[in-house]
Amino acid sequence: MIYNELPFDVIVCGAGHAGVEAALAASRMGASTLLLSGNIDTIAQMSCNPAIGGQAKGQMVRELDALGGEMAITTDVTGIQFRLLNESKGPAVQAPRAQCDKKAYQFRLKHTLELQPNLQIFQATVTGLLYKAGKVVGCQTNLDIDFLGQTVVVTTGTFLRGLMHIGQNKNEGGRLGDFSAKSLSSSLTEAGIQLERLKTGTPPRLLGRSIDFSKMEEQKGDLQPTFFAFHDTRGPEEMFHVEQSGERRIGWAPGSEQVSCWMTHTTAQTAEIVRANLSKSAMYSGEIVGVGPRYCPSIEDKFVRFADKPRHLLFLEPEGRSTNEYYVNGLSTSLPFDVQLDLVHSIPGLERAQLLRPAYAVEYDFAHPTQLFPSLESKNVENLFFAGQINGTSGYEEAAVQGLVAGVNAVNKVRVTAPMLIQRNEGYIGVLIDDLVTKGTREPYRMFTSRAEYRLLFNHGSAEFRFLDHAKTYNLLSNNRIKNIEAKQAKVTHWVDYLEKNRSTGGTWADAIRRDRVGAVLPDELIRESAPVRDEVVYRVSYQGYLAREQRQVEKLSQIEKIRIPADFDYPAVRGLRRESSLKLAEFKPMTLGQASRISGVNPADISILMVLIGAEAGRGRDAS
Amino acid sequence: MPRSSDTIAALATPAGTSALALVRVSGPDTAGFAQDIFGAPPPPRHALHADYRAKDGRLVDDVVATFFPAGNSFTGEDSLEISCHGNPFIAQTILEDLFARGGRPAGPGEFTQRAFLNGRMDLSQAEAVMDLIHARSERALAAANQQLRGGLGRRLNDLTERLLGALARIEAYIDFPDEDLPKEDRAIVRRTLESLAAETERLLATSHYGELLRDGIKTVIIGAPNAGKSSLLNRLVGHERAIVSAEPGTTRDFIEERIIVGPHCLRLIDTAGLNPAPGSIEKLGMDKSLERAAEADLILLVLDATTALPTLPEFLAKLLSTDRTLVALNKSDLLKSESFDLEIYSNLRSVSISALTGAGIDPLITEITRMVDFFQPTGQDDVIAINARHADALTRAKVSLQAALANLAASGPVELLASDLRGTLAAYGDILGKVDNERMLDQLFATFCIGK
Ligand SMILES: Cc1cc2nc3c(=O)[nH]c(=O)nc-3n(C[C@H](O)[C@H](O)[C@H](O)COP(=O)(O)OP(=O)(O)OC[C@H]3O[C@@H](n4cnc5c(N)ncnc54)[C@H](O)[C@@H]3O)c2cc1C
Ligand SMILES: Nc1nc2c(ncn2[C@@H]2O[C@H](COP(=O)(O)OP(=O)(O)O)[C@@H](O)[C@H]2O)c(=O)[nH]1
Ligand SMILES: [Mg+2]
Repeated sequence: MIYNELPFDVIVCGAGHAGVEAALAASRMGASTLLLSGNIDTIAQMSCNPAIGGQAKGQMVRELDALGGEMAITTDVTGIQFRLLNESKGPAVQAPRAQCDKKAYQFRLKHTLELQPNLQIFQATVTGLLYKAGKVVGCQTNLDIDFLGQTVVVTTGTFLRGLMHIGQNKNEGGRLGDFSAKSLSSSLTEAGIQLERLKTGTPPRLLGRSIDFSKMEEQKGDLQPTFFAFHDTRGPEEMFHVEQSGERRIGWAPGSEQVSCWMTHTTAQTAEIVRANLSKSAMYSGEIVGVGPRYCPSIEDKFVRFADKPRHLLFLEPEGRSTNEYYVNGLSTSLPFDVQLDLVHSIPGLERAQLLRPAYAVEYDFAHPTQLFPSLESKNVENLFFAGQINGTSGYEEAAVQGLVAGVNAVNKVRVTAPMLIQRNEGYIGVLIDDLVTKGTREPYRMFTSRAEYRLLFNHGSAEFRFLDHAKTYNLLSNNRIKNIEAKQAKVTHWVDYLEKNRSTGGTWADAIRRDRVGAVLPDELIRESAPVRDEVVYRVSYQGYLAREQRQVEKLSQIEKIRIPADFDYPAVRGLRRESSLKLAEFKPMTLGQASRISGVNPADISILMVLIGAEAGRGRDAS
Repeated sequence: MPRSSDTIAALATPAGTSALALVRVSGPDTAGFAQDIFGAPPPPRHALHADYRAKDGRLVDDVVATFFPAGNSFTGEDSLEISCHGNPFIAQTILEDLFARGGRPAGPGEFTQRAFLNGRMDLSQAEAVMDLIHARSERALAAANQQLRGGLGRRLNDLTERLLGALARIEAYIDFPDEDLPKEDRAIVRRTLESLAAETERLLATSHYGELLRDGIKTVIIGAPNAGKSSLLNRLVGHERAIVSAEPGTTRDFIEERIIVGPHCLRLIDTAGLNPAPGSIEKLGMDKSLERAAEADLILLVLDATTALPTLPEFLAKLLSTDRTLVALNKSDLLKSESFDLEIYSNLRSVSISALTGAGIDPLITEITRMVDFFQPTGQDDVIAINARHADALTRAKVSLQAALANLAASGPVELLASDLRGTLAAYGDILGKVDNERMLDQLFATFCIGK
């Protein structure tokens, strides 16, 4: 049957971290939205470790919060341990990280979705997409119910032809205990979308009461936790606006009752077990064809590639307050179960540990992200958007930010308004999307701060300022919060200016701050400002020279970033463009000259030529009107 | 369209020797540059004949400069056209100086691009120029590739790889604070950076347009007293364009003048006469002459065709190799017969001249040029000729390496250290092509064990 004659504005397929943000963003913009997921008990489930944030990822979550995303606040109110990473280094490379109560996180998000106006949730597995004249118009499900939508956002994570490996043992599924979405892959391929295989893995989960923590070192949370959401620009009504409707979602005061993680390590015996059984590992026996990441080696990889390293550090992370389950960070493997048992038991404190779930590797289909525009819309099929792990990324945060961008742009598409394009120079979200759509990826892509050219400008505290324009253009934040951000920004600007211009002892205040660094004296009135304002002011002043340098580079490049290339631009017709460039450009269809300039094989002379031509066409357009 | 934020400069006439070379400057700093170079703001659209003074105050050339204020110029921005003598060394010195002042090398077709964007050109004009951009960039590309396949490319690739290694060691501790990394070892990083700084410096020093331009090709004039050495020097200086001395007022043992010969810059050094039976004071001067001759890139041996040939000290005779010695057979005006027996010097190239009348000077110049064309910059193990654009990039690489080293010494913030190293990487990349961050990550994940 066809469920609806009047199509939804946006249909989101898959309620993982990407799908959830996509659905919320779209419905909050006022679009009629449907969220389909194979099992709504696993909405926003953390497939791997129970933690959000960390280096680069933490900054992205704050950026997401600046665009009205839900991940930050959910993490804050369901977090059970908070740590600021790189506290001894400068603000630009400090990042918040939190252990979450896995179930509380999920339940809270599910509840948030349920209470969201304009959003409908339905449990069904999408088996194929409906196309009409090169456009997507809806989807089919395993329940033989078809849903019509003006746009479709695919956020199916690791589920497309998901295949899990434990030694020689194979099971179909996107995650242990979950299903595998099989027919959707062929439906995508039929529409000309190219798929390929990637691989990732996860460690075993253990029963807490079978662990001897006395043999391990404790890692506590910060006494002064750093949160993900910007609480200072939110009124209390915003944090709890849904509660006002009478419902009480799960969650607690951010930072209350933190729990500990525990550190242990592998032993000589662990290494021996791994080496003796290497041939039984799915990864080493050739069972797995998908490409795994360089940065997340399984324990077998670690012992093979870093043979001279005697031991490897392991973290035991609690999965929540209401469970005794622990995640063993550092022990990802695809060795057979019996070997896993020996492996675990060779570790100090885990001699008698009971496994609740085995470690496994999973292979899945992903769609080459170079087939997308920076709006995350498919170049092959109009009105079809992709976000999350299906684009070749890895990580909840990476998925979530794409979800929001795809959700917003699906609505823009329906409303025929310009897509929200986030530039490389605006934040990690921009770097992520630009890397994906212009360079593509050969391994599960994870964000690192080193991927950003303008890392110093991307300190987590400035995310709201950096994304304010987008938030205003696309109406992603409440008016009240926008007002608060603007007021905060005005204060920061005022104080930076004040410190640079007014004298303290031996030069300006700014000179003194740059000279004395941490120990610097600040004007009393500045000390009375809120910590976020103060921190941002001091950061901008102390790193002034370097920040100005990055800002200059940004400005130098911003000109070509703003020049849009018409979608139907006829590259082969351009006189003077080299054939190689012309072919590449025609294939990639860059949206801006900036993007074109980053495509490998396109040289500066090509860009000059395009710039002149595009300028000319724009000029002609003006003449005509 | 937002105005360009930076100022670009480039040679507008084709590279090579022509009578005049045109250097074009465009962008917001143009007026400031002109003010500093010429000492006074140039009047708009009026050809100004003036001395071009480099940033360090030294005179480069007398030039004709024309300033075009924004709106009325080719690009539509403030721009300046500097017409200098057509020797590439002069043009390169001017370009290097403009880069040192904060200008940057113009990209292919960038002037045209700016002109178009500022509405100074219509479509058909722009299209015509596009063909040119294409042709030019192909040529430039071919030239650059040739260079990069050679010593410079190999050397820079090696530097880049080592820099990536150092950067990976820094980035690992920024991006993976939670990992079980070995204790951070900044000493390794420091040693790498020091060697990179030294090698970058050395590359810069091999610059054809650096060293040879600063110093010129050392050309020592030797001969017996009264053979006409000083007369020849004066004749050459009068005949060719002399460059005003770089260090005015310094006392020198020798008369020294610089002239431009074809595409080359010669540093002419007059010496005391070589007297077979010298007195003690003369002896002193002669020893110095011999020292000079030993360091010479090129020796001009002046012989008086009207007198018996002098017997030269054995030591000197050995220096007179055929590839760098030219005999000027002087005072041809006094000679009746055309033929002259060079005796022991008969294996050397010789030109008959008259320093007095100027006869034979043109053939002498031709002969000098032919000889010098075979010269390579001296010094390094393999020959690397870098141009002004390369020198600009290498200078930026050096500056950011030095900043990084200063930061290391002061135990400054690590993200700033990384920022400087990325600056260095970008500068190397301006020569080699952009270096993808993936290459740093490759080194990082090969060096450190990172994973969950
Ligand atoms: C074994 C494993 C190990 C991992 N290891 C790491 C790691 O080490 N580091 C890291 O950063 N990240 C890791 N991840 C990845 C991380 O879990 C994902 O990046 C993130 O969850 C991706 O979010 P997503 O929204 O794209 O997809 P997912 O979280 O996978 O969500 C997909 C959602 O779509 C639904 N769905 C799928 N197909 C259909 C369909 N046809 N119809 C309807 N609904 C559908 C699913 O039910 C699910 O709700 C791992 C994942 C797995 C499974
Ligand atoms: N007739 C003639 N006289 C010359 C020529 N070159 C130099 N002289 C003269 O020779 C004398 C010595 O010249 P000078 O240049 O001082 O010789 P130096 O000692 O080698 O430097 C001077 O009187 C010159 O005028 C020439 O080509 N022809
Ligand atoms: Mg003399």
